[in-house]
Amino acid sequence: MKKIHIIGILLIAVSIGAIMASLSNSSTYANFREASVHPDLEYHVVGKLNKEKETVYDPKADANLFTFYMVDNGGIEKKVVLHKSKPQDFERSEQIVIIGKCRGDAFQADDILMKCPSKYNDGKPSETKI
Amino acid sequence: MDIHYIGERLIPGQLGNVCVILAFVAALFSAVTYLISANKFTKSEPDAVAWKMMARVSFRLHSLAVIGIVVTLFYMLQGHLFEYEYVWHHSNSAMRMRYILSCFWEGQEGSFLLWTFWHVVIGTILIKTSKEWEAPVMTTVSAVQVFLTSMLLGVYLFDYKIGSNPFTILLRQHPDFANIPLFQNPDYLAKLDGRGLNPLLQNYWMTIHPPTLFLGFALTLVPFAYGIAGLWTKRFQEWQKPALPWAFIGMAVLGTGILMGGAWAYEALSFGGFWAWDPVENSSLVPWLTLVGAAHVMLIHKHKGQSLFTTFFLTFTTFILVLYSTFLTRSGILGETSVHAFTDLGMSGQLLLYLFFFVILAVVLLIVNRKHFPKVAEEEAVWSREFWIFLGSLVLLIASFHIMFNTSMPVWNKLFKLKMAPPTDAIGFYNSWQIPFAILLTFLLATGQYFNYKNSDIRAVVKKVLISFILSLVLAVVIALLMGISKAFYVVLLWSSLFCICANANYWLFVLSGKVKKAGASIAHIGFGLVLLGALLSTSRKEFISHNNSDKDIEALKLSNGRNNILLQVGDTLQMGDYFVTYTGKHKLGANIYFDVEYYKKQPDGKLKYDFTLKPIVQINAQMGNVAEPDTRHFLQKDIYTHVTYADYETLDEKKQEGNEYGTSKSFTMAVGDTISSSNSLIVLEGFNTKVDKNKYHLGDSVLAVEAHFKLFDINKKIYIANPVYVINHNQVEPIEAEVPELGLKMNFWKITPETGKIDISLAEKNVNKPDFIVMEAIVFPCINILWMGCVIMVIGTGLAIWQRVKKLRIKD
Repeated sequence: MKKIHIIGILLIAVSIGAIMASLSNSSTYANFREASVHPDLEYHVVGKLNKEKETVYDPKADANLFTFYMVDNGGIEKKVVLHKSKPQDFERSEQIVIIGKCRGDAFQADDILMKCPSKYNDGKPSETKI
Repeated sequence: MDIHYIGERLIPGQLGNVCVILAFVAALFSAVTYLISANKFTKSEPDAVAWKMMARVSFRLHSLAVIGIVVTLFYMLQGHLFEYEYVWHHSNSAMRMRYILSCFWEGQEGSFLLWTFWHVVIGTILIKTSKEWEAPVMTTVSAVQVFLTSMLLGVYLFDYKIGSNPFTILLRQHPDFANIPLFQNPDYLAKLDGRGLNPLLQNYWMTIHPPTLFLGFALTLVPFAYGIAGLWTKRFQEWQKPALPWAFIGMAVLGTGILMGGAWAYEALSFGGFWAWDPVENSSLVPWLTLVGAAHVMLIHKHKGQSLFTTFFLTFTTFILVLYSTFLTRSGILGETSVHAFTDLGMSGQLLLYLFFFVILAVVLLIVNRKHFPKVAEEEAVWSREFWIFLGSLVLLIASFHIMFNTSMPVWNKLFKLKMAPPTDAIGFYNSWQIPFAILLTFLLATGQYFNYKNSDIRAVVKKVLISFILSLVLAVVIALLMGISKAFYVVLLWSSLFCICANANYWLFVLSGKVKKAGASIAHIGFGLVLLGALLSTSRKEFISHNNSDKDIEALKLSNGRNNILLQVGDTLQMGDYFVTYTGKHKLGANIYFDVEYYKKQPDGKLKYDFTLKPIVQINAQMGNVAEPDTRHFLQKDIYTHVTYADYETLDEKKQEGNEYGTSKSFTMAVGDTISSSNSLIVLEGFNTKVDKNKYHLGDSVLAVEAHFKLFDINKKIYIANPVYVINHNQVEPIEAEVPELGLKMNFWKITPETGKIDISLAEKNVNKPDFIVMEAIVFPCINILWMGCVIMVIGTGLAIWQRVKKLRIKD
């Protein structure tokens, strides 16, 4: 067997390893129902902020605690506890992705991604000069 | 009914549109005529030259048209021609002119244009320098231009819209804004301002990063075009000679462009670092990795005539990965996985066509010519330079594969109906794979040059690198102990990058006896080692000094990956790392709010000594949302990064907060017995007194006056009294306020509603009662300057190496 063959086999082995690792390592998108079935697994949940309910951020008590209510894409609402500061312009978010685990009656999120369409393509022409 | 709009400037748009069409048609014509010419050259037909001349003229015409497009678009942006959607979308009249470049390429159309423009520049150079390669090489270049300019066409072919044309889309005709009443007004332009540039892009790095990056992308086309030309004209070996310098130039430029992007992220974005393995970052890094592989394998081929197929494979892969990245970042498929992908313009089909055209072209040409790749009978020796370079290129290929496979997760989701999310801790996930690859690479880089081509005496090589090996090992142990780096992989990478630096420095100083001219490769490798060393030290020892230890919720502590935000009230001083940090206030300048965060150091005598002030910014942007921009203090050995994650914006519009001034007052409606609260007391309405002592208040007898009795209880239950008076003097309400200086409160009694027996009062508090505060993050990045220094050295080294090669090529000619 030539060296090139050995290298080739090694190459394929590493590639398969990389694919397997990616598939097993990666968390998946889910809704609240699926996430609450497996409280020990990490999920990405996509949804919208419930603007009717109160969001609580009291930096004087805890600068790394922010709670709000989110409705997932299946229509289920849940309280979300984010262990970070309140994101800029949170109320304007159109879509939210929270990353974390479902613990008890709340979703404990380590991280949050927000899509504010306004930032990229929203905003309509209006009279701005007087 | 037709409206005759006033003041619309439609001529620039028409001019621009003519240029777009001309650019497209001329590129098409140029591609076809170059193709014919190249075919005639291979058959040595006499009119080949005439066709080539025609093709040249077409390309020149195309170039002129592209320049015309660029100039027109600039004119429109600079003149605030908001009647055009592109101008309205990406700029406004308040914006500073220095960001006009950023506006130009913020949108997809502008960035395609930038890319097209660089191809024009490169094509012009190729016409001058490529000699007998001109026709076949320029065929590919022109074909690429056909695809790129088609992205700007904005015409309908049946129901399919081809491209998006910044010159033909008028704002009032844009389908999203069709029914807006503003456009019923013929004079709408007088009242219209632009939407403005995304505040994140209003940064000097954004004026130089995109052109550099796109020049890098554009340069990958040249080796690709030469490779295609080599297969097509059956000059399987010769194409590499002219392509090689281009590959190295591309490597230097693209590498610089990527790192500039990192610098921008570090300076202006708030994720706290220069590299986040974001899909958009990844998709520019991956072609660079394969380009580095391609350029180095070309070196093997040049010296040994081996690895011919690999040179083709890596060269083609690089360009195709550039196209694939273009598809990923512009088709909208990345969706929520990336923060800075382009807006989807519905051009996915066109982008895929662009990608597959060149994939199929490359694959078909390779298959057709497969018999021409020589089977090398003898194997490379293990102890030869070519074998080690080859190994290095394979490591690069695998590293790119790993990054690309994961970045493409949204594509796999779409293709196979999966629900895979990107890794939660992207940085940790990618690092765990990429660090071993980096270790392998730096080790190969350290030793590679010590091997000769063909074969070497391994004992002699070991002897030569031994010193560097031992020195780097000692250094690594010392640094790891000093800085407290304990993770095994980090320590190994620390050693291997130091080994790479030492061994290449050694090679330059002793093997090449310090000659700068020949040392391009060694210097570039030293630079690469420094980049990795700087990245390793600054990220592995990155320290949040704004750590919040006051937390009692252990469960939450376990869950969260870091409680890095800390509350600072104005005037408070908190210890953060070696520093004592005070927030002294904020001020507004234009749209930006600057927060003054002062850093102090403790001296031996226990007193605090002022060190420096950082002014992180929050830009208030009603249209696109507020954007926070960190501020960083640079020292030689470390950076201190400060970022405001949350602040009280209610008081933003007020002038500088003077503690002794009263803030805006709040109104309350109360009945007797009601209680309201201020920030430091409870206030109870006890009752009224209608028989006011008018002399006390210097009131005339005809005046109606009612006194309200309030009892105020502070935190210590101490009682204060306040008696504001409601006065009606000639039908005018002229209340007399009551102040409680001890509590910093002022009360006014300004309305009585007899039907309900309730009264309205207003309450103002001194600003000291509710101090201004910020929530901030402070991070120390040690040794990050090593990274930036490494970048510069790498570019200088590559430049030297290219210069030497080009010089040699000239001499041979």
